[in-house]
Amino acid sequence: MFFTLFKKELFIEFRTKEVVLSMLIFGLSIILAFAFSSNVSKVIVANYAPGMFWVMILFVTTLGVHRSFSYEKEFDAFSLLVGSPIDRGMIYLAKWLSGSIFLTIMEAIIVIPFFKFLLIELPSNFLLFSMTSILINLAIMSVAILVAGIAMRASLSEVLVPILFFPLVSPVIIAATKITSGILSNDPYQLWQIWLLIVVSVIVIFVLAGYTLFDFITEE
Amino acid sequence: MQPFFKNRTNSLILFLVIFFLFLNIYNIIYNTPMVPDQHWAQKIFYVHVPSAWVGFLSYFIVMIAGIMFFIKNNNFWDNVGLAAAEIGTIFISLVLITGPIWATPIWGKPWIWEPRLTTTLILFLIYIGYFMMRSFGGHAERVKRYAASLGIIAFLDVPIIFVSVQFWAPEIQSHPQVEMANQPPGILGAFLISLSIFTLLYILMLKYRIYVIQLKNKVIHHV
Repeated sequence: MFFTLFKKELFIEFRTKEVVLSMLIFGLSIILAFAFSSNVSKVIVANYAPGMFWVMILFVTTLGVHRSFSYEKEFDAFSLLVGSPIDRGMIYLAKWLSGSIFLTIMEAIIVIPFFKFLLIELPSNFLLFSMTSILINLAIMSVAILVAGIAMRASLSEVLVPILFFPLVSPVIIAATKITSGILSNDPYQLWQIWLLIVVSVIVIFVLAGYTLFDFITEE
Repeated sequence: MQPFFKNRTNSLILFLVIFFLFLNIYNIIYNTPMVPDQHWAQKIFYVHVPSAWVGFLSYFIVMIAGIMFFIKNNNFWDNVGLAAAEIGTIFISLVLITGPIWATPIWGKPWIWEPRLTTTLILFLIYIGYFMMRSFGGHAERVKRYAASLGIIAFLDVPIIFVSVQFWAPEIQSHPQVEMANQPPGILGAFLISLSIFTLLYILMLKYRIYVIQLKNKVIHHV
């Protein structure tokens, strides 16, 4: 059942090219805004690059999550989905995992323009950067999907999603910035391991809460 | 429904709360020792810390009410959650006002990203979202479930927010601070009295607000 839902979510994400395109264009626009606002100054960009990167991902996530849930609002598809005899927690898990994969792919596309446009060196340990980013994406999505599940059927969902999402995800943003700046400046693992633990705790707590609460949230 | 303050217990609690609140102010001004390097600014802690305690207690009750709402599927728990969220936010606002008032003369700046205050601010923002959800959430029955879920995840997020903020910028947060438990007896005694009075005030406010919400729901159903 999980794989059917997971496949459905992934297909929806990739078939609807407007989500992919809008997320990419939005990401590029944010990079441009960062470049202009920092004068592409080496000092500013080098210091703030990790934060800028994750702020961009946060904005792109909000856009993507909102759009992907909006599709299910059309023709009341979401009501049909939750009306089917499946464990609703599985819907959360499928959305979380597919959303994380989708976000990781988006990040893989946008990371090169980010570093090149802002004239920053790519991380020397790119594998470590990628692995930690995947973990951070899982944490961001665990919060985003739960918030979107709560706010999407509200009348002001486009306002409610970011208002609820940004404060709830703040520990992940702090941790993500610290991890990425640790990797970019080649700091030893011991200096930023605490932040990995925080990211993992967010994943564990929010996935468990999401799995349990989605049953109640989606009740008709 | 019988008017709230016609009930003898409620009117007695109201009388006690008003009496003890005045007594508390008198006690704080005249009986508590002056801390040499903080002078009058320190006195705000007798309001600041109990407000924080009541605010977080209230948000904890929102979480418990959320869990109970899902278990019992009873509107009473939704009312408790809403009442606790509203009162909690009032006290948390007090914390966010009194904190910078104390910090301005002591640290020279109203805001230095102190972990507890920062956690409080994040929680305050989550609860602003909570009230927006209550107002613009759409279908009333769904909103109750959304609000209960949000109350649960908001409180679950508190320890992670606190830990991450604490480790986030230790260099700008390095300020000497003595925990309340390590204060001299003169300060600790007055603080505990203030804490008890604030808790009593909170219980009365919560009971009254639940009563008002129930009354409002009755009127709506009647119309």
